[in-house]
Parts: sequence; structure tokens; C-alpha cells
Amino acid sequence: MPNLPINIGSYLVNLCSALLLLTCFAIVAQRRLMACVDLFALQSVFLAVTATLVAYLTGIHHIYLAAVLTIAIKAMILPRILKKIVRQLNVQREVSMYVNIPTGLLICGALVILAFFITEPIVHLGFLLTQDSLAIALAIVLIGFFIMVSRLKAVTQVIGFLVIENGLFLAATAAAYGMPLIVELGIFFDVLVAGLIVGIYTHQIQEAFGSVDTSRMKALKE
Amino acid sequence: MIWPIILLIATPFLIGVSGLVVRNRQTLDVLHCVQAGIMVVSSILLIDEVSVSGPVSFFYFLHADAISAWFDLVIGIVAGTGTLYAVGYVGEQYDRGHVSLKRFRQFFLLFDLYLGVMLLAVNVENLGIMWIAIEGATLSAALLIGFERSKGALEAGWKFVILSSVGIALALFGTILVYYTSEQLLGITEEALHWATLYEVGDQLDPSAMKIAFICILVGYGTKAGLVPMHTWLPDAHGEAPTPVSAMLSANMLTMAIYAILRFKILTDQSVGTEFTGTLLLGFGFFSVGLSAIVLLLQEDFKRLLAFSSIEHIGIALIGFGLGGLGVFGGLWHLLNHALAKSAAFYGAGLVLITHEHKFIARVPGLLRKHPAAGVALFVAGLVLAGMPPFGLFVSEITIAVNAMATAPMIAYGFLGVLTVAFATLLFQILRMVLGVPMETHGSTVGVRCRAFSTAAIAVNLGALIFLGLHVPDGLHNLIGAILPFFHAEGEYF
Repeated sequence: MPNLPINIGSYLVNLCSALLLLTCFAIVAQRRLMACVDLFALQSVFLAVTATLVAYLTGIHHIYLAAVLTIAIKAMILPRILKKIVRQLNVQREVSMYVNIPTGLLICGALVILAFFITEPIVHLGFLLTQDSLAIALAIVLIGFFIMVSRLKAVTQVIGFLVIENGLFLAATAAAYGMPLIVELGIFFDVLVAGLIVGIYTHQIQEAFGSVDTSRMKALKE
Repeated sequence: MIWPIILLIATPFLIGVSGLVVRNRQTLDVLHCVQAGIMVVSSILLIDEVSVSGPVSFFYFLHADAISAWFDLVIGIVAGTGTLYAVGYVGEQYDRGHVSLKRFRQFFLLFDLYLGVMLLAVNVENLGIMWIAIEGATLSAALLIGFERSKGALEAGWKFVILSSVGIALALFGTILVYYTSEQLLGITEEALHWATLYEVGDQLDPSAMKIAFICILVGYGTKAGLVPMHTWLPDAHGEAPTPVSAMLSANMLTMAIYAILRFKILTDQSVGTEFTGTLLLGFGFFSVGLSAIVLLLQEDFKRLLAFSSIEHIGIALIGFGLGGLGVFGGLWHLLNHALAKSAAFYGAGLVLITHEHKFIARVPGLLRKHPAAGVALFVAGLVLAGMPPFGLFVSEITIAVNAMATAPMIAYGFLGVLTVAFATLLFQILRMVLGVPMETHGSTVGVRCRAFSTAAIAVNLGALIFLGLHVPDGLHNLIGAILPFFHAEGEYF
């Protein structure tokens, strides 16, 4: 452990994790698609900072690599793809949602409490430095699920998916001090490919249905 | 002897990638016939190898024990016949001008990668890499489901992408939790994700963490296995995907997801005992069988019919695994025979779809008379899927029922009850299609090539079903003997 005392290190990691959680709330409260993409990019930057902190404090070097990849893929490449998609579409704002914004924020608050409740029996297993990150990571994952089910537009559903990925990555780096390198690389590759595939799909859905409003796709049911 | 496992996994990747440079359709056809042969032969050789001389491993990457070998057999054989069938089916689409040569090549690239990553998933040692492979299968399947680019296909594909991504994300969270727990024992090392290493220290893992992890894994990979209530993507995807893909989704991908769940079940059981995981599996199993048994009756679309039947059979296998004891044998035997029968049924259904260009059950009566290949495939596979003797699914269902009767009679009554409903509804629907007088509306005829390839695929599957119904090869017998101890099960099977 380098110069920083453990409580200050732990404090910094918690601060960064909390900022990640905060950007989740900002995404839930945001109707403009472009702003949602920007907020996701910002969240990824916070994630990279958290990862760098953990790497520095623990001296596990391959987490630096993960931080660099986070910046490259999640803060630069994927937002660029998403913005290109948003520009091609005729909608900039999401007017109708399944759940309105104030209710959505309340639900997300409840999800955070739920996450702390679920992880309560197992946080003591974790490393001292990052004990609270597991709960925050689970909260981010749950809010990501909520974004996916509460929004109608394909693009925001994708942002929900990417938020889930960020939560998972936080769990892996902060709570478990990084997955083995090969696993981490594979996960990044998969996320990148998932982003591309979703891009292809939104494009085709736009062409076939004249909209990316997924509530129009309801031909298939019992 | 290491080469059967290497061949089995490397062949689809190599041949898939070679499709990037081969521009000639004839060559692609030949390459894929070779691939089909290699897959079937090497998965059978692997069984012999593992049942005689124990687990096979390759560096620290691949590690196939009896469980892996069993799933290699299920996935390998069906992937082989599926490749043959795809050559015929997509070739016919090409001959009819529905797909261009470029799309034809794209299809086989995706299809081979899809098969390759599934085989990789059941053989890797690292649970993180297993997750990556399963996610790879999700992504390639997503493109394959939407391959026809119709509105229906896009809707089904999108639904699949969204639901599977959520599921797979939850599974990753479960995997991270396992790592979080195990690295406290093993230290920050790659070993902490190797299942063979984990099984040695399983009893020291923290029980509450393993419980949360297992729930995440079960719901996550369960989404891919199509367990009710996470099944909603499944009938749509099976209905709208090109038929060879539907067959592979049903026979291979669901099986692979069950494999992943079993790997974690064994680990969780060591830490918290079998009751916790067993109850969860029984619950999901009963929901799946119960819902699909009824919904089968309402289906008007024959591909969706087969899809719901898959949900039912995965549920039955899950009940077997949940019961433990010889139920585990029932579950394994069920997965193998279901994969063979369901893919044969889809091969038949695909032929009907090509000739009639619609999927209405009510409008294709008299298939036995009009399209003997499709009719026989649907008829025999239908009998097998309904659980008629002497076929394998009868053996597995009876084993599960007897085992349930011995341990918890209420479960057995419930199980037999839903099975009866499912038996009646599925057979009713299948018989509506295969018997009766053909309608006047003349469907088109299938090209010689497509007919030859699909008949070959159907013949291999049905042949294997009949063979396994009448005789159990020593290799499989030994393999089950090696698998049962993982589940703390013992007893006389066969």
C-alpha cells in the first residue's frame, strides 16, 4: 500500500462510487437522448477514476489497463456510436415513458436501499479498502435494469444496459480487486460487440418500423 | 489423447473464419459437410476418452470432465446435423433468390461462430471465460435471429438482445460474487475462478454469499435457458429465426445454459447443502412445465409450438436436477434425447415452412402423405417429445417420477399431472399436422439438394434416438457413473 492511509483511500473510492451512483439518478431524470449519452460517458469517466484509484492503492497493475479500456471504449467509442444513432433518428427527446420522472427517482431510491439490504450479510467478506462499493455496484445494476424497463426508446434501453455493465465493472474492480486480466479483456470485447450489434439493430428497426419506439413492436405474443 | 476436444472446438471457428475468404458456394458446402462429420465423430470420441481415462485438459484453459463430455456430446451431435441441415436450408433460400451470396456467407460465418462458442463454453475451466463464451453465443444468436430482417424477425431479435443482456448481466454479477467470495480463500489469482479448484474448497466458501450468487446465476443463465417467467423471448426467437437457428437455439443454447447452472449448483451445494438449490430448481422447473403444458394447446404456429415444448422439457430436466439422486440421471438423459428430438422436429418444421411459406398448424394437415420426410420427422419426434416408450424421454421421465415418488410423493403427483397435460396437448397438435388429408393448396417443392441434406440430418437424429431408446452404449453408462458423485447421487440406473 503506497503512501495514502487506508481510511483516506477508502474514502476516495467511496466518493467515486457515490458519484457513479449519482450519474445514474441524473440519467433517470433526463429526457434528452443526447444528454443521456453524455451522462453515460461521464459515468464511465468516474468509473475509470475509481479503477485507477483502486489500482494505485492496491498496486495491482492490470486494473490500470482496465481503466484505460474503460475510457477508450465506454467514454469514447460507445458514446460516439450512440450519438451517431441518435442523430440519424428523428427524435431527440423522450416524451412518453412507462413511469414518470419523479416516481422513477423514488423507485431508484428504493432500489438503492434494497441493494444495501441484499449485500448487508456479505460485505464483511470484502477487502477493507472498498467494502461499501459492492452495495453501490448492485444499486447501479438495479437502476440500470429500471432504466431498461421504464423507457420506450431503443437508445435509452441500450444506455440502461451500459449502466448495468458499469455497475458490474465497479463490482469487479472495487469489490473484488479486478477480475483476472483475460476475463476482463473478454468482457470489454463483448461489451464493444454488443454495442455494435445494438447499433445495427436500431438502424434496421428504424428502417422497418419508421421509429425506434419499441412499444410499436408488439406483433409477437400469445 | 487431446485431439478430439481440440478438433471439436477448433473446427467451427476455423471453418467459420475460412468462410471470409472462400467465395464459392460449392466449397462452402463441402467444408460444412466436413465440419458436420468432425463434430459428430469427435464428440463421440471424447466420450470414450473421458469415460475411460478421466478428465482431459489442455493448458490451463480447457478442462473437460464427465459433465463437460456429456454436454459436448449433446451439443456436438446436434451441431453436426444442424450444420448439415443449414447447408440444405439456407442453400435453398439462396437457390430461390431470397438471400444473396454475401448474406449466405455471412450466415455461415455467424452460425459457425455460434456453434464454436457454445462448445467452448462447456469446456473452459475458467468460469469468467465461460461467461464470455455464453455472451458470445448470445451476440451471435442475436444477429442470427434477426437474419431475415422482417418486422417479426427484428422484433424477436430485439427482445432477445434486451432480455438476454439483462440475464447475462445478472449472471456476471453472480460470477463476480463467486470470485469475491473465493479470493478470500485462494487469494487474488486466476485459480479462484477455475471450477476444478473451486470444487476442492467449496465447503469453505461463505454460505450467504453463495446463496446470493446462485440466485443471480439461476435467474441470469435461466433467462437464456428460457425458464418461466424469464422465457418471453424464447417463443418469439424460435418462431422468427431461420429454422436451422431455431433448432440450434432449442437443442444447444438452452442445454448450454443448463450446463452453466449445474456447474454453479454443484459449487453452491458444497457450501450450503443441496436443499437450497434443489428447491429453487424445482420451483422454476414446475413453473416452466406447468405454463407451457397449457400454452401448447393454444398455439396456432408450429414453430412456436415446438418452442413451448422446449420450455416444457427444460423444465422437466430441471425438476430432475432439483430432486437430486437418480433424478440427476433423468435430467441428463432428458437433455440428450430432447436435443436430438427437438432438432429433428425443427428440421421437419423447416421443410414445411419452405414449401408452404406459412406457419399455421391448421393449414398443413396430411404431412405424412404429402411430405414424407417432414411428416416422419415431426411424427417420430412428436412421439418422442410426448414421452412415448421405447424412446429416451420416456425413460428419463419415468426415472424422475419414480425418484420423486420415493422422496416426495406430492411432487410426483404434480409432475405426473402436468406431464399428462403436456403429453395430450403436444400430441394433439402434432397429429393435426401429420395425419389427415392434405389440403388442395399446393405448396412448392423443395430442391434436390435441400431434400438430400435435410433427409440426412433427420435420419441421423432419428437413428440416434431409436438407438438410444433400445441400447445404452458403455461409454455413456460409465460417463453417468462418473457424473453422479458430483451431485452426491448413487443408485442403479438402466
